[in-house]
Amino acid sequence: MLGYRIKLAAVALPLLALTVSAIQAKADETRLLLTGSSTIAPIAEEIAHLYEEKNQDVRIDIQTGGSTKGVIDQRRGLNDIAMVSRRLKPSESDLTAHTFALDGLAMIVHEDNAVEDLSSDDIRAIYTRKKTDWSDFGDDGGEIIIINKSEGRATLDLFLDHFGLIPPDIKPHMVIGENEQGIKAVAGNRSAIGYVAISTAFYDAEHGVAIKLVGLDGVLATVENVANGSYPAIRQLNLVTAGEVSKTTQAFLDFAQSEAVHEILDTFHVVAPSR
Amino acid sequence: MSEASQPLLAHRSALRRVDWSAPAVCAIPVAVVAVMAWMLGEIAWLGADKLSWTFLTEAPRNAGREGGIGPIIASTGLIVGICLATALPLAVATSVLIAEYLPAHSRTVRVMRTLLDVLAAVPSIVFGVFGYAFFALALGFGFSILSGGLTLATMILPILIGSIEQSLRAVPLDMRIAGAGLGMTRPAVIARVLLPLASPGILAGTLLGLGRALAETAALVFTSGYVARMPESLLDSGRTLSIHVFDLSMNVPGGSGPAAGTTLLLVLLLLVLNGALLWLIAIWRRRTGMSFTLTP
Repeated sequence: MLGYRIKLAAVALPLLALTVSAIQAKADETRLLLTGSSTIAPIAEEIAHLYEEKNQDVRIDIQTGGSTKGVIDQRRGLNDIAMVSRRLKPSESDLTAHTFALDGLAMIVHEDNAVEDLSSDDIRAIYTRKKTDWSDFGDDGGEIIIINKSEGRATLDLFLDHFGLIPPDIKPHMVIGENEQGIKAVAGNRSAIGYVAISTAFYDAEHGVAIKLVGLDGVLATVENVANGSYPAIRQLNLVTAGEVSKTTQAFLDFAQSEAVHEILDTFHVVAPSR
Repeated sequence: MSEASQPLLAHRSALRRVDWSAPAVCAIPVAVVAVMAWMLGEIAWLGADKLSWTFLTEAPRNAGREGGIGPIIASTGLIVGICLATALPLAVATSVLIAEYLPAHSRTVRVMRTLLDVLAAVPSIVFGVFGYAFFALALGFGFSILSGGLTLATMILPILIGSIEQSLRAVPLDMRIAGAGLGMTRPAVIARVLLPLASPGILAGTLLGLGRALAETAALVFTSGYVARMPESLLDSGRTLSIHVFDLSMNVPGGSGPAAGTTLLLVLLLLVLNGALLWLIAIWRRRTGMSFTLTP
């Protein structure tokens, strides 16, 4: 019985020691914690990687949970920076938003379509099938084919939010997932209308794909108009802080709003705000 | 014990008498198998060209669109390891208490069972919120592999207790009587006779819990978190395979390729675990002649 206990101790004690040593975290580096929007998280993570390469003594951890969780965490002092993928609400005026990127939504039609501009009311009427033919808008494309995004896509949320629609209102002919899939669907159908992230649509239209970006409420859908804030269907990607921030936090905020991150923003189809 | 008294074999001979020409009866299993095959086929088709040694060992780059999943496999291993190291001793102790010490139909056992059933039916996101409030905030572990592992441990506890209790009860009463006849104390009978005999059942339950833990996403978003770096200590945040798949497919444009590769690895792991589970149960039945059914 004694031998059995010695054996047990021989296994358990090193395991315990290993656990204790593994639990002790390194203290010689400065840490930053960002929590919030899962849309921003992958972008912030890439920016953090780049920042860590240039500042070896800083470690940045990113955690998700949604924009509002980021705001709550910031108020309770649980994070250093909140990631918020929307404008701050009036009730959040105690916080400071640092907008590091803008995400726009472009309405797209086939390049042969005669329509140049649609109002928000037109788009609501089309997507709820109150107006079902292109002749209502001065085009001979016939019945409008409505392409919608699948559930859970950030672009769908932005679309619903901007036009004040709820999912059951929309009666699509086709549901797509990726931006590229939406562009292919519209390029291949003379009567289709869809919406995708603006930078993807702009890039493809420039590169000869048979789509056209339709203006919204009289504003052309261009990356410039998203960057300068005049385009209506945009979403801010914000880093949010409350009150005085630490030097490390401020340095990272400055970095995230600098030219150095533009290449990363491109790969996520978002644009830096012009200032 | 004769073969005829084993429920699975009796079941199988009953199946042979079913009239297979009845199309409705045929169509249902075919449909179920077809859906399963389609799903596995699509995952294999999309992910097969991604799986390579570099993919399995490298760190993810460019938000996971390039590079591999090395740190994510490491974090997954650590989280699941902590989960089992915590849950298993607790589950064995609880099952011994329920199966060996308390009277089978006592009030205490009934209450405990009800509580365990309730715990088993709780949605995993609730465990996530609990883990965040208790392990991450109250105990101060923060977003860490430790918080995640402990949260998963609370989640798989009812599964483990259920299957270990079953396998203990399946050990014939003769064993206990024979042990007592030899002058062994009750703890000695449990430690030296009952638990070794029940060990394949304990392993089977462990694999079942492990499968549930590997597939978990909701309970880990708020506990072990999102960081895709190679973990340096148990207090570091670490991303699991399931969370990586979720993030790549929902939040990263152009992330579907590596998501498929990671999914394929996850599915392969789960299939291997399930294969091992069936194999262990088969061996155990052959060796002991005891019947054992899984009630997850």
